[in-house]
Amino acid sequence: MGIIGKRVAYYPGCSLEGASRAYDVSTRIVAKELGLELDYLEDYNCCGAMESKNVTFMGTMLLNARNMSLALKRGHKVIVAPCNGCSFSLQRAEYFLETDKKVFEKVNELLKEGDVDPLDEIPQTYHLLEWLYNEAGPQKVKERTVKPLKGLKVANYYGCLYTRPHFYSRTYAHAGGNEEERPRKRETADDDEHPFYMNELLEAAGAESVYFEPMHTQCCGGPHSLSDEDVSKKFVMMILQTAKRNGANIIATECPLCHASLEMYRYRLMLEGVEDVDVPAAYFTQLLGLAFGYSVDDVKLKDNLSDPIPVLRRLGIA
Amino acid sequence: MPIHERSLVESERVLKKERLVIDGIDVSGDWNLIILPRTVEDYDLDFAKEIMESPDGKTIQQCYQCSYCTASCPVHNYWDDRYNPRHFIYLARLGMVDELQKRVDVMWRCVSCHKCTHRCPKGVLVEDVLKVILRVMYKRGLIGDYPSKKFDQFFTENVLEYGRIEDGELLFGWMEKQGYKIKKDPILRKPIPFFSDIPKWLKDMVSKPIKEGNISFIMLNAKHMLFHPRTKEWNKFKQVLRKVMEEEGALAKGG
Repeated sequence: MGIIGKRVAYYPGCSLEGASRAYDVSTRIVAKELGLELDYLEDYNCCGAMESKNVTFMGTMLLNARNMSLALKRGHKVIVAPCNGCSFSLQRAEYFLETDKKVFEKVNELLKEGDVDPLDEIPQTYHLLEWLYNEAGPQKVKERTVKPLKGLKVANYYGCLYTRPHFYSRTYAHAGGNEEERPRKRETADDDEHPFYMNELLEAAGAESVYFEPMHTQCCGGPHSLSDEDVSKKFVMMILQTAKRNGANIIATECPLCHASLEMYRYRLMLEGVEDVDVPAAYFTQLLGLAFGYSVDDVKLKDNLSDPIPVLRRLGIA
Repeated sequence: MPIHERSLVESERVLKKERLVIDGIDVSGDWNLIILPRTVEDYDLDFAKEIMESPDGKTIQQCYQCSYCTASCPVHNYWDDRYNPRHFIYLARLGMVDELQKRVDVMWRCVSCHKCTHRCPKGVLVEDVLKVILRVMYKRGLIGDYPSKKFDQFFTENVLEYGRIEDGELLFGWMEKQGYKIKKDPILRKPIPFFSDIPKWLKDMVSKPIKEGNISFIMLNAKHMLFHPRTKEWNKFKQVLRKVMEEEGALAKGG
């Protein structure tokens, strides 16, 4: 433990400052309780998410390089992003800047032109979950828990980009190739096909994980949740039904985009009368916050459109 | 899983007869399917070259067509088996642009889950490559404004303008582009969800925090809708960004 650093640059991303503020607030609570420090990255810009990269390559590199430059300016070599999309974008930029010298030089040149400090090194980006697990870990969560999540059956939903692809997220790749071909592998990274960090953190807080494979890393429709409704609806239906039929009474999420997509299509599926889709969703940090003794209002559970409060009340957790 | 190269044989070129006798020999049965040959003259080898020029597209040359990407793909498995990343890479490398064009209705459906890229044994950045194929096709006018392209463009231009995005504007702006009538206030031209002609689910979603009296949530989002969150030191950087996007031909056509 303690490889990444207790004080890191915090890149919340646009979503966490608006509609997903519950994730932001609960993240800060959890970090504080576990004795970790998040240094807010002042005046950051959007990472381009999953959209800009389809339109412009160099533009997306620049967007992320600017954020990296801001982190370096504040003296940080590690950026923590709680959103799968943001951590993916920053890690993707990291990959191309590291492996392609031409891209690195061009980006630095353009940064200078835009009055931003050029990069003399490339900061590494970690997903919030990876950071919490490695810097605090289940043991510390157990120590801090004052109100165990007893009886709560959680389906841990990781989404796509937390562990994939190994080029960017630096997880271990099971498919093909040999050890020497993966120089970018990171010791702290989660398992790629069977991630378990969230399971362990929530279990340490007293919850019970239900079997949720392979839907724990199934796509929710992601960048197409607004532009391709048919596919997204089907994917979300598969995720929610698997959770419900495996006995979950809540889905724990770790990405504002997945969370929004699950909640939005959950409601639409319910309106259409589809069976077994009524499992509510909550951010894993909200659940940890409850276990640490914070109230429903403290972790902003009212913000969740899927309304997990009745379930939690019934179990005597909230 | 269907064999996709079979789709390269058009039904007009397949001859199948009940009974077939050639030179007095009866060849009915399994042997009587004949495929007429065709000559493909419009190979576009520059197509693959243009893909390889982009840093995120150059790994296309490492592909050895094992189809692990297709086997992993959720769109292929759960939605439409005509969506086949391996086959798109095959066609793009051969430069069979007209064959790619026959598949434009499914080609954009990639949900960026990156299972393909993650599992590729040859280190092809499959998802990136597929997006580069689409990008090049769009640039050459081989594919029209497909839904996700419209959204990507809308999103990116929002980022370019303000440095940050805002959920409400993105959602209602997109609904407006979809043809829903969004009512706007006369002064600031900002959307008013409750008087707009939007689907029931969206109306219910917006009214949930109001019903529950979640005042701080409403205030925060209303503030963001009225005053778009911005990155402060953005102007100079924005110009550089716009220039780069112009060079790549990434700005909206005619805009």
